[in-house]
Order: sequence, then structure tokens, then C-alpha cells
Amino acid sequence: MATSCRSLALLRIFLAKSKPAARCIHTESKVTNSLVREKRNALFESEKQRQLSLVSRIEKIEVQYKGQPEDCTLVMNKNLSTPFNCAMHIEEVVMSRSVLALVNGEPWDMHRPLKESCQLHFMHFEDENPTLANEAFWRSCSFMLGYVLETAFKEQHYVQLCSFPVPNVRSGSFVYDADLGLEDWRPNSIELNTLSRTGFKLFFKEYRFERLKVDASVALNMFADNRFKTTQIPSIASRSESGSTVTVYRMGDHVDITGGPLISNTGQLGRFNVTAFHDIESSSYGPLTRVQGTALPVQLPMHYWSYENIIAKRAQKLNTAPVPELKQAQPLQSSAS
Amino acid sequence: MATVSAVTLRNALCQLQCRLTGVPQHAFGYVGLVSNYCQVRTKKQTKAQYKLEPDWFVNRKNRRQGKALTGDNEDFVQEVIGDTYRNQDSMLKEDPWPRQEYHRNTRRTGVVAIKLGVVPQWTKEGHKFFTTLLQVIDNHVIRYTPPEEFEKTSGWKPWWGQRFGSVVVGAMSSDPRNFSKAYNNLFTEAGVPPKKKLTRFLVTPDAAIQPGTPLTAMHFRAGDHVDVQAKTIDYGFQGVVKRWGMKGMPASHGVTKAHRKMGSTGGGGDKSGIWKGKKMPGHMGDKWRILKGLKIWRINTKYNVLYVQGPNIPGNTHGVVRIYDTILRYKRPAPDNHPPMPTWAEEDSQQGVELEYFDENLHVMSEASVSYSQ
Repeated sequence: MATSCRSLALLRIFLAKSKPAARCIHTESKVTNSLVREKRNALFESEKQRQLSLVSRIEKIEVQYKGQPEDCTLVMNKNLSTPFNCAMHIEEVVMSRSVLALVNGEPWDMHRPLKESCQLHFMHFEDENPTLANEAFWRSCSFMLGYVLETAFKEQHYVQLCSFPVPNVRSGSFVYDADLGLEDWRPNSIELNTLSRTGFKLFFKEYRFERLKVDASVALNMFADNRFKTTQIPSIASRSESGSTVTVYRMGDHVDITGGPLISNTGQLGRFNVTAFHDIESSSYGPLTRVQGTALPVQLPMHYWSYENIIAKRAQKLNTAPVPELKQAQPLQSSAS
Repeated sequence: MATVSAVTLRNALCQLQCRLTGVPQHAFGYVGLVSNYCQVRTKKQTKAQYKLEPDWFVNRKNRRQGKALTGDNEDFVQEVIGDTYRNQDSMLKEDPWPRQEYHRNTRRTGVVAIKLGVVPQWTKEGHKFFTTLLQVIDNHVIRYTPPEEFEKTSGWKPWWGQRFGSVVVGAMSSDPRNFSKAYNNLFTEAGVPPKKKLTRFLVTPDAAIQPGTPLTAMHFRAGDHVDVQAKTIDYGFQGVVKRWGMKGMPASHGVTKAHRKMGSTGGGGDKSGIWKGKKMPGHMGDKWRILKGLKIWRINTKYNVLYVQGPNIPGNTHGVVRIYDTILRYKRPAPDNHPPMPTWAEEDSQQGVELEYFDENLHVMSEASVSYSQ
């Protein structure tokens, strides 16, 4: 029985890789995080390739860059070139330290294709006003915390991520609320360290944060195995510009829903610590676990004494960000083809 | 005549010692009661001039420096550091160790001090002499290892046997952000801030001292004799005239390019070749040297300063100096008039601690020097 289940699961993964399976995998085998993630990744990849194939002609746009070392005008490809590609033409320092781009004043991911001729600035953590960069960093850290929670636990525990609140750097910690499927479990110091290291290893992988705007139906398919996301997707889609799209990001093989811009790549992570697990109660979703962490970018090194005794200690206190609640969806418009 | 024969006798004894023990004579040249350099000539392997760090040293510095914090943040972190070490209890919270008796062969811990400078003092007879000021800054005992455990460590020497335990003393508390985690963790047992200087003293078990105990100038008394160890001034690579006191040659009268040279390197025939230990140019200074039996004339308790006999303590101003009870048999205190064991504690001065303590032979400027009846 076990072998047949395993072979079924393997077959399913093979099919998923060749042709995305457009159904939830609850039915036959036991659902695990690794299987769910494989499926999500495959769906993301296929959607990404589909959207890329829509760009039939290579048209040129003019990008006005203002900043160090000198102002210049770059001729880039419409819907293909990203701010990161522009940085590649400018300087290596700009490439490595840039966290966000400002396209006509609007915060823009480094690896998000440019749509039209525009003005370009780059942001990093030692700017005069690094607020946008800090918020992007905190948001990315919540994203990475979701990755840690989905990958760090053993196969028999199925973790369902709920959501994370708007980033607030001043609170001292970033947050992910999730249903860990564990009753009354608190990690000891060694286990916390293991979770922290799982997150920090992303630094060596240098995964890029890839952004994709997908239709609500595709998103529902991706997150069919997550009971929280399936309820959130309609309301997120209804609040989008077109009324039926959802923004998803991928980092390595981890896919998740988030609105705002994220940092350029995980190689910009300097320190990463998972600090606390708290119990919270949501009226819409029931009992959840609030997982908190703290981090620093590689551009801002800090002595271990200050980090461990002040910053990491502060991040253990319960973060008072609002508990996740289901927002009512506005009536859905007709979905895009 | 008597002096010359004494020097040659010392040389002979040095060479005999070398042959009996097999240790190269360079090692004996500076150790022991011989105060002048004992020149050695031997065919044996010479000892290495420079040593690597001992293997028990931990990496002290950070590989990467943290970024400077903004003004308010820096003030806040310093406040946190102060609070942490002010409120910290020692991790091994236990009762104070019992104070034991002083015996003839007791060795107490020493202290680590900074050399401040030289000032003159006068005896009651009016004789002027020089004293060096040594300031004991922020000393704490970091660790005590009893003889049985100490014997198993790599810093132990076989000729010590089981007579001595080891005490690690630290001086000059500092910001923990200056050091690595491995170095800072050395101080968790004692519960003190990390120190800039660490050193080890050999103590007999009856002078065992608890980690975290502060050491001050009151560890000694005015009139005690101490041995002082310090590193000599580093002169770098020097020629033979400065290094060995050779005469060189005249400045004129036909001398060609040989005013400060060695000249001959030895004899010929049976004595041919350059003998091992030949005095030549080379690195001078930066060596540990001991001065023994120095008297403490005066102690200032407000600044923890010892006024120690002599102007010739090795090293530069603000150099680090190790001070401990003298090894010289006739300058050690009698068991009935012994220094505080294992170190000074408040109960030893029930009448209160005075600002200055003077040796009985020292002329005190603030006292009346002449008294007469009206």
C-alpha cells in the first residue's frame, strides 16, 4: 500500500512537471508541504512562460537614469528589461546594493519588467530616507519566514500559512501568522536556532524575488491546498486595478501572495533570526500561531552583542500588529482570458 | 678582583647547569638570580627567538566591524551595556570561599598594573630615591583552576608538579563590542565586563580565590616586597653598540666604514668559526624581564597606585606590568605578619580605609618634620 502511494505521488509530480495538474491533491495521497510546493512552483513557471510568450515583438524604451556615478539614458527592451538589467549597464555597486527601484517615483521591484520610457532611481539601505527600502526588506523577511515555516518541519506536519501584516519596522519584529498543525508546541533554543539557520541559508542561495501578476483563477489553483489563501484571494483580486488579478512572488521554489515590492535577492540578507512563537485568535480563521523574527541587511553589519542582547530580545515580545481577518470581497469583475 | 672572579664563577656555573640539564644556555641567561647577562658559548641548538601564541588563546578581535550607530542609538546601547554588567550576578552563584591561613610557602595571586611614571621620594633620613607609580586598574579574578585540573592543561609545566593552581586575572574593563564572542564568553563565569588584558598567576591551593573577586592596591601593604614583571621597550633591529654595548671604533684617524661594527667575530685555529651565542646585531627589547624584591613605599587607595622602589621598571609609560609577592626568601613576610589572604576584603580594615598608606621609613610631606617645645 505504501509503495503504491509513493509511486502515485511520484507519478503526480512527474505529471505536474510536464503538464500542470489543475486539481488539488488532497484526494489520493496525504498532502504534504513539499508536494504542495512542487505543484505551486510548476504552476508559477508555466504561467511565467505563458506571459513571456505574449511579448511577441521587442520594442525599445528610453530609461533616464539619475544617480551615481553619472546620469545617463539607457535604451532598453519594453516588457523584458528590468531595473536590474539597467543597473548591469551602470555599475556593479549599483547592481549589488540596490534594493528597490523608483520608476517615475513609484516603488518598483528590481526584477519587474519595465513597461514604458521612464525615469529611474535606485534605493538602498544607506539612503538619506531609506523608509521604502526598510519596508521592502521587512516584507521580504516575512516572505522568507513563510518559506522557513513551510520547509523546516517534518513531512507529517502540514503547515498552512495564513498571511502577514503590513510591515512595521519600528515594532521590532516581522511576523507570519500560520496554522502549524501542532498542538501547544514551543521550540527550545536549539530548535529556534535551526529555524533561524534555515532562513539564513537563503543568503548563500541568492534567490531572486520574481514578481508575477496572475488571474484570480490561476492563483486559486496554486493555493487550492491552503484553506486561508483560498478565502483571501477573491477579496485581494477584487481590490486590484483590473479587479481580477493577484500578485504572487517566487523565491527559489517558494511561491506566496504579497502586494508590495520586495527586495532584489536573498543575498542582501545579513542576519536572520526566528525569535518567538505566540498564540493568537482570529475571528475569521480561528486559533493561529504568530511566528516572529528579526533580521538585518548585509549592508548594515552589527556586532553580535548589540544584535543578540537588544534587537533579538526585543523581537521576542508579542508583536501587536493586527490579527488577520477576512475582508469582504467586492463583486468580482469578469476574469481576463 | 673579587667581582671579576664572581663573573667567571657564574659563567662556569651556567655552563655546568646547561650540561647537566640539557637545556640550552640561552634559556638560563636571564632566569634565576643572575642579574648580568651570562654569555654562553655552546655548540648546541639555540632556542627560537620568537614564539607563537599559546594554543589556549581564543580569537580576540572581530573579523568584521559593525557599522557606526547614530547618536541616540549609540547612547542607548552604552546604557544597556552599563545596566547589564551592573546587575549581573556570577553564573556560578555560590557562597564566598573560606579564607585560609598563610604559610611559609604560600603564593598568593598577583595583580596587573599600568606603569604611570617615576617620582622621587625621601626617607626619614633625607635620602632621595626614585619610585615608579604602578596603577592597578579594574582587576578581577576571571578563573581559578585547582592543581589537579591545572596539571592536565596545556599551559602546565612538569616541574610545577601539583604544587600550584592557576588564577587568571583580567585588567581594564572594556566595551564587549570591541571583542569577539569567543573572547567575551571567557568572562561569563566571573560575571564581569570583558577585560583588555588577561594574565595568569600560579597560586598555592591555600590562596585559592573565587572568580569575580576584585583586586585592588590593598592586596599589598606598604613595606611589602614584590616582584615586578614587564616587557622591555621594543627597540627593534639594533646594532651591536646599542644592543650589546660594544665599543665600536674611533670616528677618525683612518677608520674606514667601521665606526659601529662588531669587528672580529672570534679566534682562529682550534677556536675557529663563529660560536653559538655570538653577540651580533638583531632585535632588541620586547622581552619579559623580572625585577625582584622591590619595596612598596606607599599606596594610594583612591587611585589604586603603588609606589614601587626604583626608576627602572621595564617598558614604556602605560605599559602593562605584573606584580606579585616576592619569591626572595628573606624579603617575604613572616607568617604572623602576613598580607591579606587570599586578597584584601572589607573586614580586614574595620577602622576604615585611609587615603594613603606609607612605609615607616618614608618621609611624609604633610607631616611635621620638625617639632620643638615652646
